[in-house]
Amino acid sequence: MLRLSILPYLGAVLMSLAPLRAGADAPAEAGRPASTARDSAQRRPAPGTPQALLDTLLFNPDTRTETVTALLASGEAGLQGLFQNLFKGNVYEYAGPESGAAGRMLVIGGAEEERDNETWVPLLRVLPMEPLKTATGGPAYAKLVDLVELETDREVRAMIQPVLTAMDLKSPDRLKRKSAALALGETGDAALTPLLKTARASETDAGVIQLMDEALARIDLKSADPAARAEAAARLGAIHSVNVLPELKAMVATDNPAEADPRVRKSVDKAIHNIESFQSFTGAVQNVFTGLSLGSILILMALGLAIIFGLMGVINMAHGEFMMIGAYATFLIQGAFQKYLPASCFDWFLPLSLPLSFLAAGGVGMVVEMTIIKRLYGRPLETLLATWGLSLLLIQTARSLFGDLTAVSTPSFLARGWEIFPQVVLPFNRIFILFLTAVIVAAVSWAFYRTSLGTKIRAVTQNRSMSSCLGIATRRVDALTFGLGTGIAGVAGCALTQIGNVDPSMGQNYIVDSFMVVVTGGVGKLAGTVISGMGIGTLNKFLEPFLQSVYAKVVLLGLVILFLQNRPSGLFPAKGRNEDT
Amino acid sequence: MKTPRVFGLFARRERTALVLAGLAIVVVPILNAFGVVSDLNLNLMGRWFCFALAALGIDLIWGYTGIMSLCQAVFFCLGGYCIGMHMLLKTGTKSVYGSSLPDFMVWNQVKALPWFWEPFRHFPVALALALAVPVAFAFVFGFFAFRSRIKGVYFSIITQALALAMWLIFLRNETMLGGTNGLTDFKTLLGFQLSDPSSKRWLYVLTAVILALAYFGARYMVGSKLGKVLVAIRDSEHRLRFTGFPVTRYKLFAFCVAALLAAIGGILYVPQTGIITPGRMDVKSSLEMIVWAAVGGRGTLGGPILGAIGVSLAYSFLTSHFPGSWSYFLGILFITVVLFFPEGAVGALAKLKLRRGKAKPAPIPEASHASQSDDDARLSGTVLAAGAGTALTASAETTLTANAATTNASAASATVEATAVLKESV
Repeated sequence: MLRLSILPYLGAVLMSLAPLRAGADAPAEAGRPASTARDSAQRRPAPGTPQALLDTLLFNPDTRTETVTALLASGEAGLQGLFQNLFKGNVYEYAGPESGAAGRMLVIGGAEEERDNETWVPLLRVLPMEPLKTATGGPAYAKLVDLVELETDREVRAMIQPVLTAMDLKSPDRLKRKSAALALGETGDAALTPLLKTARASETDAGVIQLMDEALARIDLKSADPAARAEAAARLGAIHSVNVLPELKAMVATDNPAEADPRVRKSVDKAIHNIESFQSFTGAVQNVFTGLSLGSILILMALGLAIIFGLMGVINMAHGEFMMIGAYATFLIQGAFQKYLPASCFDWFLPLSLPLSFLAAGGVGMVVEMTIIKRLYGRPLETLLATWGLSLLLIQTARSLFGDLTAVSTPSFLARGWEIFPQVVLPFNRIFILFLTAVIVAAVSWAFYRTSLGTKIRAVTQNRSMSSCLGIATRRVDALTFGLGTGIAGVAGCALTQIGNVDPSMGQNYIVDSFMVVVTGGVGKLAGTVISGMGIGTLNKFLEPFLQSVYAKVVLLGLVILFLQNRPSGLFPAKGRNEDT
Repeated sequence: MKTPRVFGLFARRERTALVLAGLAIVVVPILNAFGVVSDLNLNLMGRWFCFALAALGIDLIWGYTGIMSLCQAVFFCLGGYCIGMHMLLKTGTKSVYGSSLPDFMVWNQVKALPWFWEPFRHFPVALALALAVPVAFAFVFGFFAFRSRIKGVYFSIITQALALAMWLIFLRNETMLGGTNGLTDFKTLLGFQLSDPSSKRWLYVLTAVILALAYFGARYMVGSKLGKVLVAIRDSEHRLRFTGFPVTRYKLFAFCVAALLAAIGGILYVPQTGIITPGRMDVKSSLEMIVWAAVGGRGTLGGPILGAIGVSLAYSFLTSHFPGSWSYFLGILFITVVLFFPEGAVGALAKLKLRRGKAKPAPIPEASHASQSDDDARLSGTVLAAGAGTALTASAETTLTANAATTNASAASATVEATAVLKESV
């Protein structure tokens, strides 16, 4: 009850905050608590001034609730700090050389500091809120144990909270403004309308405006006037306010609806329809986006696989583990940045990790090619077995070196997202992966069709002995091709650290899927990998809402098998006269 | 080209197999009855024989037909789950929760038995389903895969994806198959107490007998004309297709037989282990089964059996004495076998014997492209002689001689195409 009855003050406080109107006229319009506040104020000299009320607060513990009520009503802007700290329990009674004639004073404790195994707090004056100075002019400190906390009960805190929320409406932090608008809308108190309207008028951020409009409409939704309720519902529908959907649904529920007026219910029904169709639209946008993002990871994985399989006829089951090598390379580089470089350059670890993870995975890949793979050309099934064995070795080695689960942090420039609609945020890290995939696909196709190495790789693929006769070092080309394929896997691993954890078996989660991409796309052209990667990724995300992710995967497998009925060698089969491909 | 090499060892090999089977079926259980072989070890050996059955199937489909199926563990588990469902229903109210429903259904608040559990109440039906479900599954999947001529690594990748999908389905709780925990708490089979040592002994004997029968059956099969066709598919599928053999049907048959053997292994495995979980059918399990065949020596029938037993023995030893080393061991085993012993232990031993006998070793199969086309040419000649010999005219045989003489792959396939045309005209 008290919490509701304090709300009228809130408007007064906040209306007066901006023009700094320090008068005591606001309580005049108020009800019961104001009169008691005035009673308590009358017992002290110089009644009504905030300073006097603060004294009351300190010396008269019995009337604390009333005093706080009066303070809230005083509209004094400088008291913000007091309310905030009262809520946190950081307001103390202090008796020290600085407390003057009365011997005791109210102080606000700052951030705690540990010195000589004791906790010290810097002291601040309450009004105006500024550091308390010692006689010598330095900042005053006190031991935490020597301070007596000004006790506040739940009732007082409950009174302060809405005031604090309303204060947040003016906060420079947009997230704080948003949560304040949301919280005020939930109270549904008509007294807040002018406050919200003022804040709405000076607001520039679209996301906050949306929430403020929503809060205003929500308050109107509780109005006694059916026309106002109907109009509020229409407004909520127009701004696609997803937060209010449960409330609207309760108004028109089939059994025991909260709304009696049929006209209002009609308007609410329409709003619900509006909001839900908007929801399915944003859901589709989200699905396309996450599908593309999954697809781009599959492409990054499958690109290396397709190069190795298509050009060399090698099934690299350890491909996921080369991705893992890239991820751990990123992890190590991040560790080195944390250890040896100042924090200001920390964000640069990711741009540096991209080439280094390529080199790390590609280097290991070339060593593997020169020791194992080169003995197995022409025997694809045996490369499958040997590389599976290799993957077991790599996983176990990573496990004994790094343990089970680690994570790489996201650089600050990727931590946020792009809010295309209210409540539809496309995270920058996923956009980054999409972009990276596009760059790598472009780079690989450039390398294949525009460089000397690419020409050699294609020549060796087409006719090994003829290329050798023409002076191409086929062994070296083999090693470089394998290195290129595994290096791309390393970059995929580096990119994956931005959206998931790093653990030794991370490659296993993607290997079967990326093989499906290669099989579906065919190995004749890079475009096959890109198209099938995007197709499988997006289809997967579109099936997931209807089926669970497991069944989506099963259905996808069925679709791939059906697809292969028509095109056994995928979208772009390798051209040539090979007997068994 | 394994066939010519093994002819010389034929009689001896059969004798060895008989002696080993006799040891496993008669001597070991007797030793167990006198307490020389502990119940635990007997049970362990029984389980290894189940793996050996699956490995035998892999040898037929991979070693002989050249199709690397990476979903054999799924067939193994399908058989195992079927018999497990039957035994769980027979446990009935003797379970921990005392409900007539299996315990995991009680946890999941299932009130009535799902419809597909009903047939498993009766043993004959359950056994028939345990055999039929994996085979039917293999038939349907294989039909679509082989019909569209998905082969080689494409087939391996698709079967691997299938194994992954099945594993994910079995992990779910709502599929009513026990989820991650699988099926356990079996008490009786056909009225015998599973915890009773004599039941365990009889299960062991049954497994050993079935393994021996399967081995000799498979030996008969690969020695028949059918076996020759399977080898021909492995070595040159296109030529066989061109000569008019319904390759798809042969492949489908071999795939179903391999699935059946794996399923029998699973059926015998579950009562001996007392539990079956989806962990037995993940992607890794199927690959481990492949390595059993590779280690023992594919295309030898005996090799994969020994490989399954040997690798499982190493697993038991290493996991108890050197925990954490298993992955390293298995990884190194994969690589070493593929790089240095492509014919596996049995093949390497046979080669060693031949060398000691001053005989020239037979060429390693698929060792290189150059010798392969040569092998193919000679082999397809053998098959044509064996399978379709009567249909050939004298001129066709002349072409075949020319075929065998050439080492150029494209020229050889051209001559084979000519042969096919010739045959059609006859």
